[in-house]
Amino acid sequence: MVNPVLLIAVPLGLAFTIPLFALFWKDIAKYTPPVALGFNLIVSLLLLPKVFENPVIVSISGWRPPFCINLVAGPVGVLFSAIIALVGLLVSIYALDYIKEGATEKYHMLYLLLLTGATGVVLTGDIFNLFVFFEILCISSYALVAYLRDKAGIESAVKYLIQGAVGSSLLLIGIGLLYGQFGTLNMADIAEKIASASPIALFVPMVLLITGLGVEAAIFPLNAWLPDAHSSAPSSISAILSGIAIEVGLYAVARVTFTIFGAQSFLLFLAFLGIVTLLIGEMCAFSQNNIKRMLAYSSIGQIGLILFALAIATSYGVTGGLFQLVSHTLSKALLFLAAGYMIYHAGSLDISALEGMGKKMPLTCLAFTIGVFSLVGLPPFIGFPSKFLVVRAALATKETYFCVLVGLALLGTVIEGAYFFRVVQVLYFKGGKVNPEIKDAPVAALIPMFIFVLLIVVVGIYPKLITDVLNSAASELLGRIEYIKAVLGSIL
Amino acid sequence: MSFLADYIYYIGAFGLILIGLYIILVKHNLIKVIIGLGILDTGVNLFLISIGYIAKGTAPIFSKPGIDSEYMVDPVPQALVLTAIVIGVAVLALALSLAIRLYQHYGTLNLRKIREQRW
Repeated sequence: MVNPVLLIAVPLGLAFTIPLFALFWKDIAKYTPPVALGFNLIVSLLLLPKVFENPVIVSISGWRPPFCINLVAGPVGVLFSAIIALVGLLVSIYALDYIKEGATEKYHMLYLLLLTGATGVVLTGDIFNLFVFFEILCISSYALVAYLRDKAGIESAVKYLIQGAVGSSLLLIGIGLLYGQFGTLNMADIAEKIASASPIALFVPMVLLITGLGVEAAIFPLNAWLPDAHSSAPSSISAILSGIAIEVGLYAVARVTFTIFGAQSFLLFLAFLGIVTLLIGEMCAFSQNNIKRMLAYSSIGQIGLILFALAIATSYGVTGGLFQLVSHTLSKALLFLAAGYMIYHAGSLDISALEGMGKKMPLTCLAFTIGVFSLVGLPPFIGFPSKFLVVRAALATKETYFCVLVGLALLGTVIEGAYFFRVVQVLYFKGGKVNPEIKDAPVAALIPMFIFVLLIVVVGIYPKLITDVLNSAASELLGRIEYIKAVLGSIL
Repeated sequence: MSFLADYIYYIGAFGLILIGLYIILVKHNLIKVIIGLGILDTGVNLFLISIGYIAKGTAPIFSKPGIDSEYMVDPVPQALVLTAIVIGVAVLALALSLAIRLYQHYGTLNLRKIREQRW
């Protein structure tokens, strides 16, 4: 039996040895993250079949829950940690060749810390521990956004830091209020005791928690930092921020609403916020000329769609939301990775500078195009089954407002198609003066890109591969009682 | 008056939190905004401590005879605050180092003048 603690302990330990070993041999810095994340991927995949029946509960330092900090490796946690490790591994292979300038060993250390924080957030069963891992994730991402030390990077990092720090203070106040009422920090224990509290006394901590987590999850009124931060970070970091950081924030929002509060009446508001986020993101993306900003706004749109799907809160809806989350992670990471080398060769972030790239960098542009088709939701790719599930789930509720909202979501998809196909048209069908010396991306970048392409196509053609996992993850998120029983066990 | 005496720590904590939020929202100078973040952090920490505080309480050491468990201060919030202080220090240090870089690029710390990126 593999212990889920290793998923956090190994990358955390290795991250702190990087600057030490880099003193003796500089190259060890860039080979450590792939090793650590490869290990995490293997452990997560080994754990995945075992957690289907019963989640693995790990109590740190031998006390029983709720008196200890515990890890809950259920289907949701292990699914997320597998995705984090997979995307992290592929992006770290890409970074072997992509990150050349600056203090590279610091880049690799912070990169590994960011992913450790993300893994910790999805595995922990203690709400203060969740806050701590969240801060690990946030602080490393503030620093990584500023990694290039250029004007745009520093400015966006400052904005991101201020908004993120206020968000985490609100989160901490919410945690304090919950502790004051229930005298416990264990999420299952709080969830069990919450029925005895008055709704008014719960409303304030819930709003504080969701606002605090919503800053990192980029839910609409709180996402002003996202387009700046995602567009001025190095492309490999943009891929991780768009593919993992905001998804982890969204996971935390879902965990707080579903498991801790079981807030049914709040869900319609979240669904509405999701659609507003979606429409605003897509409309802003439509008017961008900067390709990375366009991708960042499109991430906001996708987050809105995922939030909407999760807020439907039927088992179809949550399955669809998680499927859409997986598909967005794979497609958006691929798009940022491909865009990284296209920008590097074009020397500009403008979409018009990419004219005729399709002939010069055929493989990179092919990968980019497949990412675009998948994100818009064209059939043979993963985006199609995920969007289809979301729409079906919304229609299956037979509620008028969900049907209206899903209509708006489809409108958002049309806008998304419009601006993404414009980029594809620029890549392939506009002549332009192209520098003849441009070569395709190096092999170390093409391998991870085409593994993403392979995953997108294979899962898109045969979605059964992951729907079983997603179904049991969805039932874990929705099944409060089972979660409480699994964690507290004999105490109940 | 007894209301004031009972809740004085909470009033102080939320006062500090509101002052911090006000500074962050209103001030233009990045250093002042960072000071606001520091005040906000302090307010949150004071709030956490006052959750577990009992007037004239002592540390919860059960081996010492003669102390009633009613007069023991809850140690969990204190552990939380230690962690929160460390996190706050890290965030403030990062913010100040970014402020130095920002000044090198723009020659000003006025956030209203630094507006290259917009929606």
